Amino acid sequence: MDTFLQQLVNGLTIGSMFALVALGYTMVFGVMKLINFAHGDLVAMAAFIGLTIYTQVLGQANTLFSVLVIFALTTLIIAFAGVLLERIAYRPLRRAPRLSAVVSALGASLVIQNGIMLIWGPRMKIFPESLIPSVTWNLGGVVVSFLQVVILGLSCFLMVALYLYVEKTRAGAAIRASSINQDAAKLMGINVNRIITTIFIIGSALGAVGGLFIALYYRGITFNMGWNYGLYAFVAAIIGGIGNIPGAMVGGMLLGLFNAFIAGYVSSTWADAFTFIMLIIILIFRPTGILGERVAEKV
Amino acid sequence: MKDLSRWGYFLFILFILVAPLGMDPRWMAIGTTFLVFSVVALSEDIVLGKGGMFNMGHAMFFGLGAYTTAILNVEFGMPVLYTLPLAILIPAFFGIILAGPIVHLRGDYLLVTTIGFNIVFVQAVQNNLFDLTGGPNGIFGIDVPRVFGFAFMSQTSIYYLALGVLLLTLFIMRNLENSKAGRALHYLREDHIAAQSIGINARLYRVFAFSLGAGIAGLAGAVYAIQFSAVSPEGFDFIQSVLFFSIVIVGGSSIPGVLLGVFVMFVLPEIFREFATWRYFVFGIAMILTMILRPRGIWPAKFGRIPDYIKG
Repeated sequence: MDTFLQQLVNGLTIGSMFALVALGYTMVFGVMKLINFAHGDLVAMAAFIGLTIYTQVLGQANTLFSVLVIFALTTLIIAFAGVLLERIAYRPLRRAPRLSAVVSALGASLVIQNGIMLIWGPRMKIFPESLIPSVTWNLGGVVVSFLQVVILGLSCFLMVALYLYVEKTRAGAAIRASSINQDAAKLMGINVNRIITTIFIIGSALGAVGGLFIALYYRGITFNMGWNYGLYAFVAAIIGGIGNIPGAMVGGMLLGLFNAFIAGYVSSTWADAFTFIMLIIILIFRPTGILGERVAEKV
Repeated sequence: MKDLSRWGYFLFILFILVAPLGMDPRWMAIGTTFLVFSVVALSEDIVLGKGGMFNMGHAMFFGLGAYTTAILNVEFGMPVLYTLPLAILIPAFFGIILAGPIVHLRGDYLLVTTIGFNIVFVQAVQNNLFDLTGGPNGIFGIDVPRVFGFAFMSQTSIYYLALGVLLLTLFIMRNLENSKAGRALHYLREDHIAAQSIGINARLYRVFAFSLGAGIAGLAGAVYAIQFSAVSPEGFDFIQSVLFFSIVIVGGSSIPGVLLGVFVMFVLPEIFREFATWRYFVFGIAMILTMILRPRGIWPAKFGRIPDYIKG
């Protein structure tokens, strides 16, 4: 029972990080029908920029103020990078064949990933431990750390805010309209280019927060970690039905729990294999994800 | 135009036939690498370019062939020559059973599923499945094929072995294009609903393309295992699949385009070692630029002889 509750807590923590990153994939796919392979690398870049701000700008001060500065600055920089990415690598290809955009996304991913390597070096960097007070509570055999509470709380807050923004505001309605049918949305007077820019700002900013959480939680950061976490987040987005914003949140949580239970009960060396076998089974039987609606393909 | 391309192929084949005469062993190894990776990229072209299926796990089939030869030779003592047919059949068989349930999936889902296959394969190999795959270090000490007392010992003989496999692949691809299966795949790729409505069995031809591509990649894997007399999981990682995928699309899914892509992605980094750390950074930029400037690839493929009045 203790293992179960402990893995539940760990799973929800990992899951909320997956969910934050998955939102970036799902929003971009929803509107542009493109797998943004470079998203995971922006997430990795967030971790490195956060570390640089901590060591270079803040002089390694462990205060609430430095936490706020790191999160605010990193999020801004990554949001800007996301917009830049769309302008350079995706916008010129909007009318091109699908595969051209996929290869451009892969190219962008290689550029960002190896850009990180050229700037920060190929070796693993360690994120500061004491930035968030390392307080832990023991609740009847289950260990919960302050960091886990922060990650879960802040992720839930961001997701609820995004949900309300997408479902309840005019701008959110425009995003939903563009993802259902871009051309019809244009005819209704929606500026689709602006929607896409908005999506890249929101998606990259959430990914940046996710990247900083990943760095704080796992602490070791490498230039190529974007592919691992990005792939997981992408799987989460598919489980929730890609393009579906609440689906990405649920998918992230489910994937986090699944991963934690595999690590807790089976073996962590097989975690990737089990995750992808699950994904393949889901895709064979419910190709639009667990929460996705069944839609007939347009002819 | 037709004559020009025929002369092009003739000169190219002549060149790679006589090239070893003026090469030292290092260049010979690079040449062999080019031939082996060309075969894998062309077999990916059968699945992705000809079949239109977004396969981003092709390195798995390459690895299956390499590991088939390695395991049968090192663990079971089977002569390498006899492992070659199995290095084709086992990946082709996996191609059939893995592709069977998924070929109906829409492009991006197929892409993610094949990435999944690749990751499961690499993790299984790394975790030393059934105590056969040797874990993260792989398997060492693979023999060379021996035919009637002749052993493919020298770098030169392995070069010609790889060259034979490449010529075989080119021959298969030419025949595929002029065959019923090739035309069916072409139609399915252009408009699968129209194709199915006139009675083309989509699943059959797609699974066929998958297993053909997998079998050829498997044979290339066996040659790769022979060349280095060792196999290890990194060689068949997901990044390799990404490279094969990109080579086919950037090259434009034509034979000259794909060969050019292999040359740029696998041979140039071997020649310019100092450029190694910048390799992927530069490739990434090149991939984006190519797609923006030439969305259909550097050397777009043309299918068959389409009369001018249809082309419009």
